[in-house]
Amino acid sequence: MRPFAPDKIDKLKIVIIGAGEVGFHVAQRLAQENKQVVVIDNKPESLRHLAEYVDVQTIQGSGSSPRVLDEAGIADAHILLAVTDSDEINIIACFFANVLNPEMLKLARIRNEEYTLYQDALSKDFLNIGMVINPEVEVIKSIDRLVTVPGAVDFNEFADGQIKMVGLRLKDGPLAGTKLFDVREKIGIENVIIGAIVRGEKLLIPHGQDAIEAGDLIYFVCQDEDLPAIRRAMGHSDKTVRDVLVIGGGNIGMRLANQLESRGYRTKLIESDAKRCEYLAEKLDKTIVLRGNGTDQDLLKEENVDAMDVVVSVTGNEETNILSSLLAKSMGASKTITRVNKTAYLPLVRAIGIEHSVSPRLSAVNSVLRYVRRGGVVSSVSIKGEQAEALEAIVQEKSKVVGKPLKDLDFPKGAIILCLIRGQEVIIPTGFSVIEPQDRVIILSRAKIVPKVEEALTVKLEYF
Amino acid sequence: MRFRYSLYVVGAIVCAVGLTMLFPLGFSLYYQDEGVFPLLISMAVTLAVGGAMVAIFRRGDAKPMSHREGMGIVGLGWIAAGLAGALPFIFADTFSGSITDAVFESLSGFTTTGSSVLTDIEAVPKGILMWRSVTHWLGGMGIIVLSLAILPFLGVGGMQLYKAEVPGPVPDKLTPRIKDTAMLLWKVYVLFSVAEAIFLLAGGMSFFDAICHTFGTMATGGFSTKNTSVAHYDSAYFDWVITAFMFIAGVNFTLHYRMLRGKPMAMFRDAEFRFFAGLILVFTAIITLTEWGRSFDSFWESLRFSAFQVAAIGTTTGFATYDYELWTPLAQALLLFLMFVGGSAGSTGGGMKCMRIMILLKQAYQELIRLVHPRAVKHLKLGGKIVPPEVVSGIWGYFILFMLLFVISSFLLAALGVDVLSSFAAVVACIGNIGPGLGIVGPTDNYAQIPLLGKWILIFCMLLGRLEIYTVIILLVPEFWRK
Repeated sequence: MRPFAPDKIDKLKIVIIGAGEVGFHVAQRLAQENKQVVVIDNKPESLRHLAEYVDVQTIQGSGSSPRVLDEAGIADAHILLAVTDSDEINIIACFFANVLNPEMLKLARIRNEEYTLYQDALSKDFLNIGMVINPEVEVIKSIDRLVTVPGAVDFNEFADGQIKMVGLRLKDGPLAGTKLFDVREKIGIENVIIGAIVRGEKLLIPHGQDAIEAGDLIYFVCQDEDLPAIRRAMGHSDKTVRDVLVIGGGNIGMRLANQLESRGYRTKLIESDAKRCEYLAEKLDKTIVLRGNGTDQDLLKEENVDAMDVVVSVTGNEETNILSSLLAKSMGASKTITRVNKTAYLPLVRAIGIEHSVSPRLSAVNSVLRYVRRGGVVSSVSIKGEQAEALEAIVQEKSKVVGKPLKDLDFPKGAIILCLIRGQEVIIPTGFSVIEPQDRVIILSRAKIVPKVEEALTVKLEYF
Repeated sequence: MRFRYSLYVVGAIVCAVGLTMLFPLGFSLYYQDEGVFPLLISMAVTLAVGGAMVAIFRRGDAKPMSHREGMGIVGLGWIAAGLAGALPFIFADTFSGSITDAVFESLSGFTTTGSSVLTDIEAVPKGILMWRSVTHWLGGMGIIVLSLAILPFLGVGGMQLYKAEVPGPVPDKLTPRIKDTAMLLWKVYVLFSVAEAIFLLAGGMSFFDAICHTFGTMATGGFSTKNTSVAHYDSAYFDWVITAFMFIAGVNFTLHYRMLRGKPMAMFRDAEFRFFAGLILVFTAIITLTEWGRSFDSFWESLRFSAFQVAAIGTTTGFATYDYELWTPLAQALLLFLMFVGGSAGSTGGGMKCMRIMILLKQAYQELIRLVHPRAVKHLKLGGKIVPPEVVSGIWGYFILFMLLFVISSFLLAALGVDVLSSFAAVVACIGNIGPGLGIVGPTDNYAQIPLLGKWILIFCMLLGRLEIYTVIILLVPEFWRK
């Protein structure tokens, strides 16, 4: 357990600075999980909107003011999240929080590279920031994952990369219609477990009797070396990615192109601003920088968009991104990844045929939640919008899940244990598996059940 | 608006009300009176109806509650609670079969009005009298606030419910979670109630009477167990204890909480508290001096009765120790003015609330300043903080509706043949949740003489007053029920 955590889960108090999109979503998620949330923002409208929907306390004022922080009860809070749009306000807020309550965990959203390069200055001494969240970096990471695993809708790593959780759409083929307990035999791989199925807009936590159907989005956990075989079984081609087109040469576009070219992908980058193009051409070596508009059909045709393995649209304007992706798709690009900022757009985006979308804000929300978890939870990711969450946790000695076969466990409904990792060994559990202390477990849980899962993983309640 | 979901929540609230009938039942069993059977059957009916509503309208989706749903649930919840509360009176035949009187008495209890239609209070079984006082106590801090504290599933969107019930223009949230705020407020409320009961017991009041009077005081209700109200005891000690606790109940409970948490100055720095306390002190002084040598020979006697009556009317409790209709017209006019003003926001008191009156006065003053300095840039501030313009316009709307409903209801009562003074006083005493008015509803009379239809008008007025008009009146607006 981390030092900042209180003894009871519903006593965890979190102060959030900034009621923007990131602040709003984090507040909503944490309040749903019955934690005590106080939100500070200087715009009364944002606060009113938040208080209308979410059970949190709101305080109007500047988050960088120690008086306001004091009013928010920083002295008895456990976590501070500084997620305003301004790096400077976030840093100052962390500074004062560190003075007023040195014990607390501080997370700050900092986007400017100038700051993040000096990691030590942020994480030590005056500021003592526990984690710096850079949504852009997070988003680049998730795009990178999607590019590396072709066909994947969602891709996450656990246990330092030993285990992968992949969301893959099942194409029509031999596997369609198979009952869950026959799947392993059909693929011919032992170490794979299906955690969730998304059918239409609904997320199912399946049982052995349920069948998977063509068109389902299937979340499964497996080891690295088995991934290609599973992909084949699900009807995805073996073709590896070679050509990538990036639309939008902003911060994200540039860093992404840089990363891709260093890995040996053939990368093209489209940017509309002439000056920016000059700059990009200077910074990038192998990438072909093209000046033009991502929605320009002639340009796309000229650059053989139909031969592209992946088209990534990451301009600052999400409407443009959606249009570019649709256009590229209709012109024959095999896969598109679209940056969408407004989380409200995400369900809509799927409906119009854009399968892979990334959102800097959602990524930031995820990384914040990952840190706020307790009960030995070391990592967590949202899947399917925010309907469910996959957690990785280290089981504590006194937890009530220890020492009993899984089938006898009183584990919360709506959550399943996907995988156990004991040392280097990866165990796909059956009803007779027994969890030992210090095992890493990967659990898939509906968002609503998360607090119960956390409770189950922590120390047993002891009465004296 | 999701009707099923709203009815589900209302059902849960009805169940909570049903459970509280256990408390008077205990007294009834102890005293072996005729209240046992009526209370048992009322409880069974309430729990059955509430339980059926919960079972039938089990919620499907747990989307957060909308503002509209919050208001609907609170409005309907209060009506349902008022009807459930009338059952013990009906089954005990307290009003010889009159359902109107039973509902009147129940809603007068829940809304902490304290207007009674009982002529011989002391003849009623003790269990039923206790239920009458329990309705006060529940209604004082609020049925919904209680539900928020004890029903965990109301947490989602609980703010909507809280806003719709808690008196005052901008309710405070003391803690991050609404459930905790509700719990804290109830704890403070219980604490003061226990303190008052101990003081009354120490003065020699019987346990039963002490509990009933405590409930009547802390909720600023005003139901007594004696025909002549608190005057029955004719004791300076009881008068002062009750005066003090009426005053406490008329203050914003969040200030009490801050004080108990070791910030006593918070109270004296609060602009509304100063206004409220000042009003009570000044009016007490004026009435003490005008009645000294007139109704009372000694100064202390004059102070004791004036302070009690000013506090009783000013906090909208409505206990009586003296027939203030015998006082000078000035004293009566001052008391009538207090009926309109009422207690503080966030207290258990009724009326328009000191905070609203203060903001309206400041607004009026600001308009005057603007005439002198047409280019002045000025914000309306209260306690150093800017009052947002939409809050000010909300208060104007409230004020207009309050006066409009006051005028219409008075006209209707007059049309039914009640004399002018009595109709005006009866309406203001009900809409302000005070209890006794002037004329035929004065401190020595009761509401039994009001015609049947008039009682229903007053029932409506009491509900309007307790839920601060908007929450009730919105139920009558067709637009509200449209999808």
